[in-house]
Amino acid sequence: MDDIKKKILISLFIVFMIFPIYVYAAKVVATKPVLSDEAQMCLGCHSNKDMTKALENKEILSLYVDGDAFVNSIHNAISCAGCHMDISMQNHPQVKKIKSKKEYIANASKACTMCHADDQLRKKPIHSFLITKAKAISCVECHGSHSIKGIAAQRAGLGETQYCLSCHKSRLSMTMKNGESLSVFVDESSLRNSAHGKLECTKCHSNFSKTQHPVRAFNSKREYTLINTELCKKCHPDASSQYEKSIHYDLFKSGNPKAPNCTDCHGNAHSLARTKPDKTIGLTLCNKCHRELNSSYEASIHNKARLQGKKDAPVCSSCHNAHNIESTKMTTKIKEGCFKCHKDMGKVHNKWLKNPPITLSTFATAHFDVVSCAACHSIEAKRGIYLTLYSRKTGEPVTEEELLKILETDPVGLMKKIDSNADGIIKAREIWDFFSLLYKKGVTSIFMGKMDVGNAAEAHMIGGKAEATKDCVKCHQPGAEFFQNVFVVIQKADGKRTILNAKPGVLNSVYTILPVSKFYALGSTNIKLFDILFIIALIGGIAVPIGHISLRIITSPLRSLRRMGKGGKK
Amino acid sequence: MKKIYLHPLPIRIWHWVNAGGFIILILTGAQMRFSNVFNLFSFETAVDIHSWTGFILLANYFIWLLYYLLTFKIKIYIPPLHHPIEFTKKALRQAKFYGWGIMVGDENPHHSTPDNKFNPMQQVSYLMIMVALIPVQIITGLLLWDPKLFSPVVNLIGGIQIADMIHVLLFIFFSAFIIVHFYLATLGHTTFAHIIAMFSGYEEEYEEHEEHGGHAEEHSHQEKTE
Repeated sequence: MDDIKKKILISLFIVFMIFPIYVYAAKVVATKPVLSDEAQMCLGCHSNKDMTKALENKEILSLYVDGDAFVNSIHNAISCAGCHMDISMQNHPQVKKIKSKKEYIANASKACTMCHADDQLRKKPIHSFLITKAKAISCVECHGSHSIKGIAAQRAGLGETQYCLSCHKSRLSMTMKNGESLSVFVDESSLRNSAHGKLECTKCHSNFSKTQHPVRAFNSKREYTLINTELCKKCHPDASSQYEKSIHYDLFKSGNPKAPNCTDCHGNAHSLARTKPDKTIGLTLCNKCHRELNSSYEASIHNKARLQGKKDAPVCSSCHNAHNIESTKMTTKIKEGCFKCHKDMGKVHNKWLKNPPITLSTFATAHFDVVSCAACHSIEAKRGIYLTLYSRKTGEPVTEEELLKILETDPVGLMKKIDSNADGIIKAREIWDFFSLLYKKGVTSIFMGKMDVGNAAEAHMIGGKAEATKDCVKCHQPGAEFFQNVFVVIQKADGKRTILNAKPGVLNSVYTILPVSKFYALGSTNIKLFDILFIIALIGGIAVPIGHISLRIITSPLRSLRRMGKGGKK
Repeated sequence: MKKIYLHPLPIRIWHWVNAGGFIILILTGAQMRFSNVFNLFSFETAVDIHSWTGFILLANYFIWLLYYLLTFKIKIYIPPLHHPIEFTKKALRQAKFYGWGIMVGDENPHHSTPDNKFNPMQQVSYLMIMVALIPVQIITGLLLWDPKLFSPVVNLIGGIQIADMIHVLLFIFFSAFIIVHFYLATLGHTTFAHIIAMFSGYEEEYEEHEEHGGHAEEHSHQEKTE
């Protein structure tokens, strides 16, 4: 009885465990392609992973062939000599000089055309375009070699990005009409690690897909970049519309070839850096063009705070905005950048600004309107008074381009009209003459005064609170230290400025009362003529009683005589 | 000799506060303007004193204004412009007195009464000062005190530099005026007569003048007092 049970158990084991394995193995053996004898013979050696060849350029060429991959490739039925025509079972050159991998691959790829007719290769436009190029990449760079699959299988087996990368992982390049060469190589590891790493290629390149690859031509790399900037808009519409309001976009519109666009700041879209919590990205991107400002920023309290890991420590974009960057010279918005972090500045400054009997926040604002933050807070800056020409009517700067039209002159003629004696220093009378000239031409102008630092580097060298200037007399006394550098500024349409040296005393001249009527600093913009008038008035005031008393003394005999006469009558 | 109650208490208070205030404002104003020439106070102290005093005088101005408006005595400042020729003659006579008559012993043609306090020259100048110059000085002072707070007014007049120009020109005028004013105050029947009257309120006037009214009599009385 026990024997019967044993037999039944063995039978069941065979039926449920061994039989399926047998059936599967039989099936595999039945469907697996069989390599040719020649191939099996070659693989006898070339299945060794360590088999390599040193090339003339010192590159190491692996001679290993993955047998399994080859068995599963579309070429499995072809013998090795079918492609490697100079090698056969009978003839295997021991020493074959090969210069480089590139040369080896190019030569090996020639074999492809033995079977693949030109018509077949030219079917797809991009394929047709690529194979006619003088420096076309070889077949194996896109399609692979021993593991080559049919296009349909490759298309089906690969994800979208992977499919694109099958060609673009190679050092592909496009030649522009102007002869420039643009790399269209995509580094897969950079792409995967970039902020766009999880996106499929077609998310941005919507005209492309596994089945569609138009052939495009561009005049220049710049044109290509600008057209591709549109791709960013799809996912980043806010940043794009902000960019279109920026000084960078103004430069771009003016045709400046160096005007930055998305990729100029952020780098290639395929290796786009992720935003880092330490904000270094905000520095490194701007430093590409504004490197000269970096050392002054590094000396600032802002950078010290950043290095200390303070969360709110500002980098470039914290003050200047990331995309809607405006010219700091044309607007006061940079102050808003400061106020984004430094709240209640009116109250803070009124702790030491004095305006009895009650110091209102407007008093601090009156200072903020004409003094840049950096003018007091920058370490050892060379402050100056900048008198920028504005239109009273529009409240906007009168640009150099507008002046040329109004005065019907050229830039040299304009300078002659401002600096009439061409000595390089604008005097008060010259300011008045220019103001009058514009008035005659129907433009009521005004020179808006502002105290600022001398250059952009100083503007970034912001010191600590203790280092800020709080000494009133630096500005508020005749001949004040901060009023020794005066400049006349003419704005240009692109945000740049023409800065002309003015005589330090221009603000003390009666000639500038009207042209600079909105800029005043107690003590330092005193009008000299009024000082003289004051002295004359004092002398006159004292002279009246002295003169009158003198006359009364001189005429006292007259009064005595008269008194005596009256007395006689009496 | 009789005493005329010429200066009521509110006006005396207003006057002396104003007088002291003017001197302080002129000194501190000059200090701010000429800190490179003399140094009575630091810049901050000068600004402090100047601003406080300015506001005190602003309030003080309303003592004067309210007193004269509420008592209807403001008319003593109004020249009788409906008699322009007569008024001009009187003014010229007054000028002639200060320029010549006072030298030869003529009597002051004007005799102050509470209803006719000022001679024609005083009337014109004080009217200008009280209703135009001081208010303008106060307003421009306020504009300079906080230009941002009063920016609509500052812009209306063309800019803060214009406000400063007006303020400074008036400062120059008042500086000269206060010297001359002080000297004229000594031209009463005694050197300190007007000044004492400005403290006591009572101006001394001889009764004979009231009775006879003759020029010769008045003259002799005046001379006696000199």
